Amino acid sequence: MTSDEQLILELQQGSDAAFTELFLRYRERVYGFFRRRMNDAAQAEELAQETFLAVLRAAQRYEPRATFRAYLFGIAFNILTAHRRKSALNTTQSDSAPEEVPYPSGTNPENVIWVRQAVERLDDAEREVLLLREFEELSYEEIAKMLHAPVNTVRSRLFRARLALREILATTPGNLGGRK
Amino acid sequence: MTSSTHPFEQEEVMAYLDGELAANRAANVAAHLRECADCAAAAEQMRDVSVRLSDWSVESAPASLTKKLDAARAEHAVAKVRKLQGFSGRLGGKSSFLRNRWVWAAAGAAALLILVLRIGLSTARQELRHSEGLQLAYTEQSRSADLPESQAVGTTPDHFMARPAPPTSAASLGTSAKFSSPSADGQSTPEPTAPMIARTASLSLTVKDFAPLEASVKAVAQRHNGYIASLNSASPQDAARTLSATLRIPSAQLESAISELKQLGRVEQESQSGEEVTKEFTDRTARMKNARATEERLLDVLRNHTGQVRDILATEQEIARVRGNIEQMEADQRALQTRVDFATIELSVQEEYKATLQGAPTATATRLHNAAVDGYRAAIDSVIGVGIWALQAFPTILIWAVALFAPARWIWRRLRRTAVSQS
Repeated sequence: MTSDEQLILELQQGSDAAFTELFLRYRERVYGFFRRRMNDAAQAEELAQETFLAVLRAAQRYEPRATFRAYLFGIAFNILTAHRRKSALNTTQSDSAPEEVPYPSGTNPENVIWVRQAVERLDDAEREVLLLREFEELSYEEIAKMLHAPVNTVRSRLFRARLALREILATTPGNLGGRK
Repeated sequence: MTSSTHPFEQEEVMAYLDGELAANRAANVAAHLRECADCAAAAEQMRDVSVRLSDWSVESAPASLTKKLDAARAEHAVAKVRKLQGFSGRLGGKSSFLRNRWVWAAAGAAALLILVLRIGLSTARQELRHSEGLQLAYTEQSRSADLPESQAVGTTPDHFMARPAPPTSAASLGTSAKFSSPSADGQSTPEPTAPMIARTASLSLTVKDFAPLEASVKAVAQRHNGYIASLNSASPQDAARTLSATLRIPSAQLESAISELKQLGRVEQESQSGEEVTKEFTDRTARMKNARATEERLLDVLRNHTGQVRDILATEQEIARVRGNIEQMEADQRALQTRVDFATIELSVQEEYKATLQGAPTATATRLHNAAVDGYRAAIDSVIGVGIWALQAFPTILIWAVALFAPARWIWRRLRRTAVSQS
């Protein structure tokens, strides 16, 4: 199986097939990246699309020093940051009511809500590190580069986030709403 | 669980579980976890957090994402093609060669190099012209300064020009030119039976004693039945005196005359050359003969004429024209004969210069004043020079600046984007 890095190099040479393959590999994960960080599914879809287009446009800038995964989620993170900044200026849009999140088949909706609410209770910086590690599966160093923070800081934040989450998850689901 | 009771912090155990520890450290942690129940339990709780987090799955990406992305990709491709077409169209619709950024970067660099070279060459040329101008001006100044001090003989004294009568016969000349017997009427020019050579010699000398030089040169000319066609001498201040003279010596005595002249000083340069003028002499002789025959026929016509006065006048005019031509050719022929009979010696003599102590040295105040004046002039000249250069180079710089602006901006933006993306 061709590695992600080999595919992005082929994309630099103008291979459409390479981009299609990368899209198929990371479509769900990129969408999940945005979806876990925002309530608006349409917005998440739009940002995911924007991320892949950015990869397409900026393929020439990729250098094989970093993994493609870190490169891809670095772009996604920048797009998310820009979106949040824009939304912060437009308060009416950012304060829109969250829509109901559909749950994938085969999952326990209660567990999903429980975990999501537990994560939302975390500190912003710690939550971001936790999500990048658990769902995007980035290394400490990759997270540190993305957040422009020292590796030790990333490790400390991750540790604190996991401890806090362990405590939250140890409580009963019914108490979650009151603790937020 | 603290470091006092356990060798590893929980945070390090977490890093171990995440695979972020170095191999030897990870082995130690793994060994400790096998032995320490507390740490193993903590590690298990940490794993449980990750397992619980995995429950947070989200719905699959909507199918519209693929469609929207395909549409966006198509739009992007079209925009890219249009951009490239527009780009190449502006450049004359050339191939993808012109769309290669490295080609443009190389072209920009080459244009920059040409600009630098052009400005450099222009500057060097101007400096060369400037230095040549200064040198010329210096030479002219030196000449004008030398003239009043010199004894320049612009008009050669008459006695130098006194020319002895040329040899009346070929025998007296003893020259290389041999002539046939002249015709009975004495008007015909003798036909050459041997090559006629006009000889020229050039001699440069350096003498220690300059004072008797003129007299010596004159004596040599007289001894060899020759004459001095011109003579110039100069005695500039703070420089060696010079004398240049043109001697005309019978060709037969050229060698002996040169030998005597060489005795006057040290020979710096000597050369001899000869120009054969036999053909020119023969041709002119034939034309003169024809012209004289024409003149004779016209005179006969005039003597035996029976026509109108108008015809007589026309005949006389024609006789006058032919006569003028004959006289002109005779003069040229005599001059040519003289060149053959008398060889030319171009003599150039220079005195061995001995510096002499001048009067009192220039006063310090005067020297300071002169230095200040020279400095002021140099400053003004440099300012004017820079101004002239700027005026000459500005159009060129402007053209290249306009031409290079776009590629330079492209390169700068490219570098800036790279720097931003790396940061």
